[in-house]
Amino acid sequence: MFLSLKEIKKEKFRYGLIIGMIVLIGYLIFILTSLSMGLANQNTDAINSWNVKSIVLDKDANTSLTQSLITSDAVKKSKITKNEAYLGQAAVVAKKNGLTKESAQYLGLKENQFIAKNLKLTAGHNFKKSNEVVVDEKFQNDGYKLGDKIKFNSASTAYTIVGFVKNAKLNIAPVIYGNIDNWLAIKSLNGPFRASAIVSKNANFKLKDNQVKTYSIANFISKLPGYSAQNSTFTFMIGFLMIISLIVIAVFLYILTIQKIQNYAVLRAQGIPSRTLVSATLSQSVILVVSGLIIATIFTAITAFVMPAAVPMSFNIPVLSAVGLGLVLTGLLGSLIPIKIILNVDPVSVIGG
Amino acid sequence: MTTLQLTNINKYFGTGTSRVHVLKNINFTAKKGEVNLVIGPSGSGKSTFLTIAGGLQTPTDGTVQLEGQPVKSMSSKQRDAMRLNSIGFVLQSYSLVPYLTVNEQFKLVRKVKKENNLTNLSLERLLDKLGINDLRNKYPGELSGGQNQRVAIARALYTKPDILLADEPTAALDSERVVEVGKILQDLARAQNTAVIIVTHDLRLTDFADKVYKIMDGQMSLQMAQ
Repeated sequence: MFLSLKEIKKEKFRYGLIIGMIVLIGYLIFILTSLSMGLANQNTDAINSWNVKSIVLDKDANTSLTQSLITSDAVKKSKITKNEAYLGQAAVVAKKNGLTKESAQYLGLKENQFIAKNLKLTAGHNFKKSNEVVVDEKFQNDGYKLGDKIKFNSASTAYTIVGFVKNAKLNIAPVIYGNIDNWLAIKSLNGPFRASAIVSKNANFKLKDNQVKTYSIANFISKLPGYSAQNSTFTFMIGFLMIISLIVIAVFLYILTIQKIQNYAVLRAQGIPSRTLVSATLSQSVILVVSGLIIATIFTAITAFVMPAAVPMSFNIPVLSAVGLGLVLTGLLGSLIPIKIILNVDPVSVIGG
Repeated sequence: MTTLQLTNINKYFGTGTSRVHVLKNINFTAKKGEVNLVIGPSGSGKSTFLTIAGGLQTPTDGTVQLEGQPVKSMSSKQRDAMRLNSIGFVLQSYSLVPYLTVNEQFKLVRKVKKENNLTNLSLERLLDKLGINDLRNKYPGELSGGQNQRVAIARALYTKPDILLADEPTAALDSERVVEVGKILQDLARAQNTAVIIVTHDLRLTDFADKVYKIMDGQMSLQMAQ
């Protein structure tokens, strides 16, 4: 630590550049991670808020809520308890004159079932009458107010916004919670359909009907359109950035070690143990990475503060800490190559002629 | 009284037709309190002699004994400890860590060898004697070649070594400083009962030597003993 701190203090510009590079890499990784988390959350926020473990869908719906329809007959054969709730999904465009149109997901609920009862409202009250809806905060951010009347697509029926709810997003779109009795009309369907799906807090819940199938929530989420592809893309980007940071740190430390090899040879000749020189390199690597990450964290915090709410970013501290720890480990890994050189330093090389 | 003894040392480099016999049957003894000067031209084998004497490399055959203990029987760790505790090295160049001030060069040694170093007062006297006491907060890059070499000498003496091995310690010094360094090394040998071995081209140091050896084509011969 002594040697590494003294060297950094003496060579401020040189090490400043290296720390600058680590700051940029760290900042980029933090922002990408936050963006990845934000987008992932916008796919699943609503589902996560229900705390459910399984979902029953039409078995021919290809695990898609949009394609699924469950008939009243299928429901009648089974007992629906307080741990289950109906979901009637319809993709809608909500509009009000003078305000931005919102592409949204209408989710019809039974008001006496747990999803409707547990909605965490940030303003207003829960829907009670059939023409009342509770909507995601995105509507509020876009200028919608309590009491505003909205219409869906080209239909003439108006619904009144009576409440706002936070983190109610499904497949990136804001959710409109309303009465399930309106769902069939909104979806322009006729028939003996009871819901799009039934969600349950019980992982083993099943309907006694051959036309439906129970899926775990994790499986259902992984099949959300675009969800897995998007997450894989981000994971690869973050992974590659980690590898790049590993190479950058390894190359810098390698060059610096090569420049110091004569001094290390003298120190070895003078009996300074390899252990001291190795720990100097390791601690130097940790100091550089940690310093870079502290600055990157400050930049990320500033970004989180100034970023508009519309940008889907989620600054999850445990996840970002884990990413930071990964970068420190990457830095340590990067210092292994110079350590090999230090261990092989030949003190004889500095005694010349 | 014998501190360092080299017996029948031979050293070869290379193999086959490119094999070179660098040291030829060297016998050398350094006693405590003596200054030994080894003089020879470039390529004569004096640096190889120094590295073998300092336990940095092993001879092809022959034995090196430090305080009666064969260096060959020591582990790598024991050799490190031997160099740190018993041997002081003054090298021609790169002797100092460039990002440590003069003070910090000693601090580094103190971090590794915590006991039996010069006291602060003794260090101050030594630095005064070498004319570098006012340079304590300077980095090596801010010093002249001669000043750097004097700091390197002080750094080597700081651990109170039993043996001081010096490779061209006066290469960058003017005549006045050569005399001072010669006196310091002679005083050190007498006062601290240290065996001083200097490998050099610099004949100006012969005045301070108890024994002068000449090394030529790998063969060593005693030229003068006072």
